Amino acid sequence: MIKVEGISKKFKLYHSPAYRLKEIIFRQQYHKDFTALDTISFEVGAGKTLGIIGQNGAGKSTLLKILSGIVIPDSGTIQIDGKVTGLLELGTGFNTEMTGLENIYMNGTLIGMSKDEIDRKKQAIIDFSELGEFINEPIKTYSSGMTMRLAFSIAIHADPTCFLVDEALSVGDAYFQQKCMRKIQDFRASGGSIIFVSHDMNAVKTLCDTAILLDNGRIIDYGEPKEVVDFYQNMMLKKMHQGEVEVNVKKGKNDSSQNNKNSYRSGISTNQVEVLSVNIFDKSNQEINYIESGDFVNVVSKILSFATLDDPHYGIIIRDKFGSEVYGASTESLSLITAPQYKGEIVTAIFSLYLPLSPGEYTICIGVANGACDFGIFEEYCLFIQDIAIIKIIQKHGKSRFGGLVNLNAKMDILKDNDKVNND
Amino acid sequence: MNFSLIIELTKRDFIERYSGSALGFIWSFIYPLINILIYMIIFGNLMGARLPGMSSVWGYGIYLISGLIPWTAFANTVTRSSTVFLDKKNIITKIRIDLPRLPLFIVFSETITFVVTLVIFLGILLITGFSFSPYLLFIPVIYLIQQIFAYSLGFFLAMIVVFLRDLKEVVTIGFQIWFWFTPIVYVFEILPSLAQQILFWNPALAFISAYHDIFILQKMPSFIYLTLVLMMSSILIVFDYMIFKKLEKDIRDFI
Repeated sequence: MIKVEGISKKFKLYHSPAYRLKEIIFRQQYHKDFTALDTISFEVGAGKTLGIIGQNGAGKSTLLKILSGIVIPDSGTIQIDGKVTGLLELGTGFNTEMTGLENIYMNGTLIGMSKDEIDRKKQAIIDFSELGEFINEPIKTYSSGMTMRLAFSIAIHADPTCFLVDEALSVGDAYFQQKCMRKIQDFRASGGSIIFVSHDMNAVKTLCDTAILLDNGRIIDYGEPKEVVDFYQNMMLKKMHQGEVEVNVKKGKNDSSQNNKNSYRSGISTNQVEVLSVNIFDKSNQEINYIESGDFVNVVSKILSFATLDDPHYGIIIRDKFGSEVYGASTESLSLITAPQYKGEIVTAIFSLYLPLSPGEYTICIGVANGACDFGIFEEYCLFIQDIAIIKIIQKHGKSRFGGLVNLNAKMDILKDNDKVNND
Repeated sequence: MNFSLIIELTKRDFIERYSGSALGFIWSFIYPLINILIYMIIFGNLMGARLPGMSSVWGYGIYLISGLIPWTAFANTVTRSSTVFLDKKNIITKIRIDLPRLPLFIVFSETITFVVTLVIFLGILLITGFSFSPYLLFIPVIYLIQQIFAYSLGFFLAMIVVFLRDLKEVVTIGFQIWFWFTPIVYVFEILPSLAQQILFWNPALAFISAYHDIFILQKMPSFIYLTLVLMMSSILIVFDYMIFKKLEKDIRDFI
């Protein structure tokens, strides 16, 4: 378990480090303060994973450094039961001239293992890294993947109670990554906590139990990973927005259990447009809220404009239950030319979709932008509403099942060779 | 940070120096052996340098080497400690490390070199028919005091070097000057009395002359000065720790 309370960290920016001494001697201030973290508090329970997201410079690295004890905070307390190992220090102190085995001792000692412990675990480390005979060769003869495999093996065998993971694990090939992920799952199952810093939003949404969003050293959002990521992405859209009308980011509760139109959806809005309704119809124009996998639907959205948009574009995104984008399209991506939408005008956007998706709940997001620049990039982001409608996809009756997200409609033939191999 | 890390760093410090070479650790015997032989032969046999009041051919060589070996350990410990935070930056910025204890691995590593060199020196002395005095047994005590002093000084410089990087050049030059202000190459008694009075304040004189007492004069070294050095080091260590408490945050930020 990790409990962090009220952590603040200011970095003093000096012209050169010598000015720090000058400051002590002359008792004058020669620095500018830079607040890297401002009263940060959070808790990660045993077996839980916390995601930390935010832009570059938001304070993520500083926070990790404080948690691993490299940087000392100005105020606040950190309680950690047990040992913290960071995957950011993967392979610290590795010397390429020395053998893998010698480096196990060095790196292992650095991350807090005793000699006895390493003696006991070294075989397990070597086995997990699958380096075999190479363990007695100098590290300089290793490929970078082999080095990372060794480093990860040492780290995971150090028996930490908390793992600090910076960015996605890029350890070796796909096979070894799978092996690492399994080991990390075991680690979680046995009560280890993980703090995961990443720019990979889908990874955060799928791996984490909670997430925090850092901005300028402050926690500006804390909670369900999906909601936090949505809020963050909306903030990014706001940043990209170039229009004169200010964009408001709405943070809502994504109540996915029911299709309640009154529930407050998260998204962004310049208040220039409003989505009046979103309805889903089947082929025979019946309003529905579930379909069978592989059916056609029409998603019909009525959009009212309070201002004139000279180059409006309407878009849709389908997301799965983790909030990962399954599909996205817009008038811009479909190369449709749209007429200006005048003030007070209501347009009806009809998205006809074919949904050969695996059974489950999917949500629909609607966006309106003005002024296309490039694929998916616009001058003004007028409106973006996440999870405005839900569509449930069920198994098509009497049809074959499939694995994965999308039905690729496999056809199969098994041919028998008539020329039998003669075994006699 | 535990003790085993210091041991591991010490080992690493040693192995790294000769890693990849065929003879490896043997080089750490070869260097001092050659050095000692050169000094003994050139000064004793070729130049015929004689130590005042000593008739042996080897006299001056023994004098020089018995001061040079501990001085090298002392000077290396301090100069290397002074940049230890910058040199070990790649570890300090990634793993929580107890900074005050970090320079200890240099103290240990230099001790190994010292012991190896000393053993070779004693071996050569044995061949030249040198008569060993029982005072040789005091060497570990003198060496301990010398290295405590080296640590206290090295740790102090290490902290300041983080802020004033130029200081490490100053330290190197400082040790050059300090070397010549310590009677290692020459004999204290040949100095004019004014110089003798100034040199009296040189703490290195306390331990270097103690080694000379043991090897050359074969008498009990004076522990009064050594005790003073020990006290001075203790005060410096307390002072170091106070500075460290005040500056730790900045040191870690600046590294």
